[in-house]
Formats: sequence, C-alpha cells, structure tokens
Amino acid sequence: MSSSQPGPSDPSAPSAAAPADVLDDVAMLLVQLEPGDTAELEQVRQSLARLARATEDFDAAVALGGAATQLATVVSGGDEAQAAAALARANHLVESAMARLDATRPAAAAPAPAASGETLPDDVDADLLRDFIVESRDCIAASEAALLALESDPDDVEAVNTVFRGFHTIKGTAAFMGLSRVSEFAHHAESLLSRVRDREVAFAGHVADVALRATDMIGGLLAAVEAALGGAPLDTPDGYQELLDELVAMEHGGAGVGAPGPATRDRGPAAAGRTAARGAPPEHHDAAELADDPHPAPAAVIGPPPASPATAPARSGPPDGVDRRRGTDRRQGTDRRHDAELSVRVRTDRLDRLIDVVGELVIAQSMIAQDPAAHAAQNQILASKVSHAGKLVRDLQELAMSMRMVPMKPTFQKLARLVRDLAQTTGKQVELVTDGEETEIDRNMVDVIGDPLVHMVRNALDHGLESPADRVAAGKPATGTLRLSAYHAGGNVVVDLQDDGRGLDRAKILAKARAKGLVFTDKLSDGEVFDLIFAPGFSTADQISDISGRGVGMDVVKRNVESLRGRIEISSAAGQGTTFSVRLPLTLAVTDGMLVRVGAERYVVPTALIHMSFRPERGALSTVNGRGEMVLLREELMPVVHVHRLLGVPDAVADPAAGILMVVGDQEKRTALLVDELLGQHQLVVKSLGAGLAAVPGISGAAILGDGRVGLILDVAGLVALARTRDEPARSAA
Amino acid sequence: MTAPAPAPATTSPAAAHAGKYLTFFLDAEAYGVEILKVQEIIGLLPITRVPRTPSFVRGVINLRGKVIPIIDLRGKFGMEPVAGAESCMIVVEVQGVQLGVTVDRVSEVAAFTADEIVEPPSFGTEVDTGYLLGIARSAGKVTLLLDIDHVLTTAEVLDIKAAALTEGESSDQR
Repeated sequence: MSSSQPGPSDPSAPSAAAPADVLDDVAMLLVQLEPGDTAELEQVRQSLARLARATEDFDAAVALGGAATQLATVVSGGDEAQAAAALARANHLVESAMARLDATRPAAAAPAPAASGETLPDDVDADLLRDFIVESRDCIAASEAALLALESDPDDVEAVNTVFRGFHTIKGTAAFMGLSRVSEFAHHAESLLSRVRDREVAFAGHVADVALRATDMIGGLLAAVEAALGGAPLDTPDGYQELLDELVAMEHGGAGVGAPGPATRDRGPAAAGRTAARGAPPEHHDAAELADDPHPAPAAVIGPPPASPATAPARSGPPDGVDRRRGTDRRQGTDRRHDAELSVRVRTDRLDRLIDVVGELVIAQSMIAQDPAAHAAQNQILASKVSHAGKLVRDLQELAMSMRMVPMKPTFQKLARLVRDLAQTTGKQVELVTDGEETEIDRNMVDVIGDPLVHMVRNALDHGLESPADRVAAGKPATGTLRLSAYHAGGNVVVDLQDDGRGLDRAKILAKARAKGLVFTDKLSDGEVFDLIFAPGFSTADQISDISGRGVGMDVVKRNVESLRGRIEISSAAGQGTTFSVRLPLTLAVTDGMLVRVGAERYVVPTALIHMSFRPERGALSTVNGRGEMVLLREELMPVVHVHRLLGVPDAVADPAAGILMVVGDQEKRTALLVDELLGQHQLVVKSLGAGLAAVPGISGAAILGDGRVGLILDVAGLVALARTRDEPARSAA
Repeated sequence: MTAPAPAPATTSPAAAHAGKYLTFFLDAEAYGVEILKVQEIIGLLPITRVPRTPSFVRGVINLRGKVIPIIDLRGKFGMEPVAGAESCMIVVEVQGVQLGVTVDRVSEVAAFTADEIVEPPSFGTEVDTGYLLGIARSAGKVTLLLDIDHVLTTAEVLDIKAAALTEGESSDQR
C-alpha cells in the first residue's frame, strides 16, 4: 500500500544533508515520537548532534549539543519523565532553530508550510496526498469503531491504542504533508486519547462524545483537503474552532472533563499495570519472544552471530508446538501491519474493467465450447482442451468477482455509531449486537444499501423500541436489544435487523389501510398486513407513531432495496419485536435472470422479481368489459399484461392459456405478465443499454446472452406502469 | 452550417472541413464521415431490437462486451429500406459515446482539399441539408460530407448528451 511512499518515519535520514533538511527531519521525528521508543529517540539524538555540529550559531550549537547529551542518557536507560523532559527541550530548541532558519531564508521564499493553514502547500504531491487521505480515512474508520467498542468496554486497552495510533498516524503524516491544521487537530485529539490511555480521564459521556466528534472533524478536514486538491479553496469545516477549543480545554483538565469515575479510581494498581504492559509497542514482541525462546542455544551454535528470530527456528528445528506458539504470538502483534503489506489499492474503474473483460471471456469461452467443431467425434483432444480452458476461465471469473467483495464491517460500524447517537438523543437504552460483520458483499452494493439500513435502524430506534420506563412496565429489561446480522443464504446476502421492541400492530395497520382504501378484506396473512407499511403514502400522510411507528419512508426503503434487485421481508410479534430481513444479491454486476421468449425475441426478467410462473387454466381467466383480462390465482384477481403488445413483438402468443403467466409486483398490486415460454434461468452480467438508449420505457438494461447476442432486461415495474397508462387512453377512446 | 448567403466556394466555411474522410455508400449516394470520428468498421453483427424506440434505431449489438446502439442511416435519412442492402457497420464516437451506423458498403479513405469542398446547395424544404458539413467534388464524383455529430445528436434521434451525462454520473458512483 504505502511501500512506494516515503514513510514519515523513514529511518534512512540523510547523513550529509543541509542543516535545514536535518532540522526538518528532527522536527518530523519529534512530532511523531513516542516516548519510550528507544530507536526513534536515538535517531533524534543523532540528528541533534549533527545539527549542533552544522550550526554556525555558537549558543545554539551548545544548546543542541546539551539536548543531544541529555537524550543520550535517556536512551541508555532513563525513565519516561526524563525522556519527556529531554524531548520537550529538544522540541523547543528545534522550534527556535526553525524560526531562525525561516528568518534567514530569502524574503521571497514562501512562508514555511507549517505556518500556513489556509492553502495547500505549494510543493505538495497530489498523489501522495490522495494516498494520505485514503489511509487516514481507514484510520478514522478504525478509530471510530474502537471508540464505540471502548464505550461499551472502557477497559479495552487495545481499543484505546487503536484510536491513539489512528490519531497519531494522521498527525504525523499530516505534518509530513504540510497539512498543519489536520496535524494540529489530530494532535489535540491524540492528547485527549493519551489522557484516556493514562487513565487521567474516564472514557465516558462527554469525553466519548468529543472523541467521536473529533473523528468526524478529521473526516471533515480530510474532505476539505480533498476538495482543495480539486482546486477548491481549503475550507474549514463548520464547528472546527469550537471542537478544537473544547479539545484544548480538555487537555488542560478543563471543566468539560468528567472526573475519573469511582470505578476507574478503584482499579488502582491493576490499571497501572495494564498501562505499563501497553506501553510496550508491538516492535518489542520479537525481543520478548527471543528472550522466551526455550531454544536459543542451537541457533547460537550454528551461526556465530545470534541468528535473527526468523532463521533461528528454521535451523535449530525446535519442537512443533513451540513454533506454532511463536507464529500465533507474532500474528497477534503484527496482524494489522501484515495485512497492509499484503494488499494493494486498485482503482475501482480498473477492477470494474477487469470484471467486464472476464465476463466477456466467459461468454467467448462458452461460445467456443458450444461450437459443434469442439464436439465432433474426431476432435476429442480439442474438446478436452476447451473444457480445461473453460475450467480456468471459471476460476478466473470467481477470482475476479471475489476481488470486488468487501466485508460488511464498515457499514455495521457506521450503524453502530448511529445507534449510539440516536440512543442518546431519544433517551432510550439500546444494546446493539452485531453478527456476521465479515460477510462479504460487492463494494458497489455497500454504498447503496447504507441508506436503507440507516433508515431502518432509525425507525427501529425511534418507533420500534420503547422507552426504558415502558419496557420495564411491559416486563422487559430496560435496555432494548437491536440485533444486526449479516449472512449468506442461497446466493444472497441477508441482512437482518431485529429489535425486541413493541412489534407491529396488525389491527392498527389494517384499520389504517382500510381507511386509506388499500385493502377491502380482513383475510390477509400477517406478512401481507405488514407489507402494507411499505405502501407509498401509507404512513407519511399523518402521524403514525401510534401504529408502532414503522412506516416513515419505508416505501423508499423498499424501493431502494428493490432497485438493487433485493427483497425486504418483515416478521413481527406484538410486544416481542420486529425483524426486517433485507435479502440482496451478492453483486450487482451479475444477476439471476429468467430468460423468456416473446414471439421470436428473448428477454430477461430478474428472477428476484418473479413471485411465481404458471400456465393458467382457461376457467381462471376472465375479461372485464370484454377487454381487460384478469386471472384468478388462489382467490386473488390480477390483471394480465401482454408483454408482446407493450413491446410491439409480432407473432407472439396472445392467448394466456397457451402461454406462461409470470406473477410480479407488490403485494397489493400483483400483475401477471404474459410471455410465450420460459427458456431457463441464467447468471447474467448486467450492462447499461448503451448511452442514448438509457431511458427506454420498459427496459432496464442489457445482458450478453450465451450466444453472444444482447438480451434486454425487462423493467418489470416500468412495464406494469406502461400497461396502466396504455389502458386509460384506450378506454377513453372506446 | 447552412449559411444564409451562398459564399464563393473557396472561402466558404465548408472549406474549413478539408481533411480525411471515410467514404461509404447508401444506395448510389456516396457519403463521407470525418476519419477522426470513426473508431472501427465491423461486419454485420446480430442486432437485438429495442422496443419503443424510433424506427431508425435498429437496436443494440454486443461489441466485444459493450452494448452499443445501432442507427439505421437509411431510415434516418428517410430512404427506402432495401432488404440485404447493408453490409457493414461503422462505429463512431460522438461526444464520447459509441454508436454504430449501418451502411451499404464502405468505400475508401479519401482526402478532400478545401478547394474541393463547397457549401451544400439549398434544396428548399424538401431535403434537410443541416446534416451536411459540405459537399466534396473530386474526380468527377460527389461525396456528401456528413456532420455525424449533428446526425446522431439531434433531439429526434437520441438525447445522447443527456444519456451520456447520466452514465457518467453513475460511473462516478462506483
């Protein structure tokens, strides 16, 4: 990921650099130094010593030399307080040296990047900056998740460290990039976290709030930088100064900081012990392991210099068990870094192109495989070669598809944050339980399902869960549970959102639907009743919070989910809660489609939209006024839409009893589409219909069929709407 | 393109269109399209009809995995359809959008000098010359130089620009 990028802590500091460069290096090192990291301290010491030699100002040279010596004592075994003092001194010296240097620089020179916060530094490398933004966003996401984890478990030392590391990395890299404002802000955020880490403040309430807002603010700052890259002026996000002031106030133990709770204080020695243990950065793992290694001797015997940890076990061949323990230990310590090294960032448009090309390859290959020449008796060898190539192509396709899959985790994390914030504003007590965060989904889908999920979570909290008092009155625990789980089922990703709130009230929904003229019968299953809340306008018309609340904009949710070729289902029990199940295809690039024949033409209907297909008995068919055809299916009367008429296909089956009816559409508006024949279900790569034809009514897209031809994908909802509008002018004309 | 007053041939704006053209035939008429707009010439591929589109939209083809619309130039120009007359498709790029047009046969790449190009004469309302950049006379032959952008982007054909915009937006979201 960042292998090509000069890391901010690049140890290969130039040995014969100009004083100004050395000074910059030192400043950089100091900014991101962690007291306790001996290697970095040593680097600072060396640089200071170099500066002392290079500087022409005698006083400064003496001061620098003194600081270097002081650091040397720390390096060779001082305590942290000494280190901090020495660093503070070094910091001060370097700052004043930089100020002097700036003063001596030619007047024409631009102000030092660190001093200007309003524009991007002139010499900034745009690519580097983009990488920085992407990486920093990862840091923020990780920090946010850790903050939430921390809130539920304030003792989670690893979470504190994750956040701390996140802010720290952003601070250091931003300083390196000359983004002084980001760096400064991250610095203050980090300071707050370091106080949490050192148990000076408890991570709860206001502190948690500010920390989370700080992650948002850094996100905002990054967005501003990104916009500035595109030429916009470098804006300051709203509320920046306020939050910064707040952070600074907290740093100095301002009134905003709640005193450490009694629980924290009680921990006493245990907490101190943890902090100390945490103080050892991952780098120390190897050393510790080496010391632990029960078999250091053989390595020493074989090679005179102590072998590196990696070669030692290989040569000496320690017992298996030891080896494995070592392996796991290291993985725990370095997992994060390891992952980063083993991944490459690829532009999504390239990835999309790859998947497109592979899709074509699959089709081209199947065309070869279906060629009669490949199956002729004398071509046995060719046939086996073709089938071998086919296997490889399928593997390749699977691989290409998997490249686009990302875990649901970031989506869940955003929802976790939402739940937290909503719980605070609504005064409800909620515990969010997530499950299956590692479930993978197409990255294009991730962006699109975010909104519906947010909506559903908001609804669940707003209306589904009762207030703590109501819950207790209903004999439930005061804290409600919201369970968010994702899993794979039958080629789909299913996301369940389950609450243990008051549930949907069947009677009230029915009464409401009847009042609105949506239903005329009581003979509806629970599922059918609950589906009514998805009806447009069902709930937006007036206050609905008395009908268990669900429904605000649920029609939008449903539409969004269906635009992804997904489905949404509800189950609910009064007083026990509600479960929404969102079922989505794994990817938008490939869809399950039913290939149907209409006349001499073939069309694709997304399988997810077909409720069922059947050939009607003649007795089930009836007409209205001699023209509108209806079919009776299980006591449900639905209109028959002749696809061939809408699409102008000649020579198609016009008699429903001789064709196939496909039932599509919503619960209350089911429609039967008449087609000639079903040709079978296929996995299809979805394409846009080519520019210029994007808005053809009744057609939603195209797919390349097995024979290389283009097949059109029917826009089922559009077709039904088309049939309605077509009927009306016809009727008025008659 | 249609200047109100006919100007002398050598200084007419049509002369600015000197350059290389791919020439092709529809019936006996020779047409030229700027070579820079042409992406490739392909044989007839199976066309999938797209319902509810104007009759000169022949449908869409699979061009190596890309779905592109095919415009019937004969239909577009109001010429009588002749079964089996068309032998190939020319793929052009118009305002960043790929489109195919069916033609009877492709002839050659010809270079026309400014001297050879004249403004299209006015035929009154009978023939719309707005689709023409000019007319080239060379070696006793007349070639109609098509303003292919104009042919394919007029509102009556396809709102290509709007469609291209929406496509651009959707690819941004990826």
